[in-house]
Amino acid sequence: MTPFKKSARVAIALPCIGLLIVGAAWAAQEHVVAQKNKSFAVKKLTVKVGDTVKFVNEDSFAHNVFSLSAAKSFDLGSFGNGGSKSVTFDKAGKIEVECAVHPDMRMDIEVTP
Amino acid sequence: MNSARAQAGLVATLLAGILLSAPAAAQSGGKVPQGALLPKDSVDAATFRGGLVFANYCVTCHGINADGNGRAARLYNPKPANLRMSDKNDTYLGLIVRKGGAALARSEFMPSWEAELTNEQISDLVAYLRSINATKL
Repeated sequence: MTPFKKSARVAIALPCIGLLIVGAAWAAQEHVVAQKNKSFAVKKLTVKVGDTVKFVNEDSFAHNVFSLSAAKSFDLGSFGNGGSKSVTFDKAGKIEVECAVHPDMRMDIEVTP
Repeated sequence: MNSARAQAGLVATLLAGILLSAPAAAQSGGKVPQGALLPKDSVDAATFRGGLVFANYCVTCHGINADGNGRAARLYNPKPANLRMSDKNDTYLGLIVRKGGAALARSEFMPSWEAELTNEQISDLVAYLRSINATKL
């Protein structure tokens, strides 16, 4: 391999890698949902497959986040004031999110393709 | 998902009916003053109140029958405790409710309830769990 060819490859590869990184960052977004006054700050949220939702506890007591929905079943466990937990949605569908500690805390997330 | 909550409500209603019907029956015999229900400090009253706490906060994981088969049980391995067969004493039960599972080297998914429930609610819940325990410790 000549030095010219090598540098040419690097010149082509670098922009491609950059495009991939930028593309991935653009494609997958992080949504932040606060938990405050024993409720989720939003009741409905629409995200895309690959997006992440970060739940932030702004109450002075612990919250939990779990879902039993077919498209995504998970339990992020309990976390106190200032704590946060994230979940990434890898499949389209409707997700009902609940808090195990506060049975009236619910929200819906629609994951679109 | 909502059927479990409906079931919980039904059980709470039935519990209320059973517990409230006893004084009413006695009342009809003229031996209990009119308007008297379960004495607040009685074990029966605590058990009744504890049943309501359980139906509201615990059924999601432990199930309406307290056998560890709540609707969320499938998320966990090991699964939630079968509280009917628990060999733990009242002090332990009160402690794990207050502090959560991780504090007692049990499941991290059992939350700490001390910020949510009052001391009386926790005490009532323990009374309810004692009442349904089949091991008769």
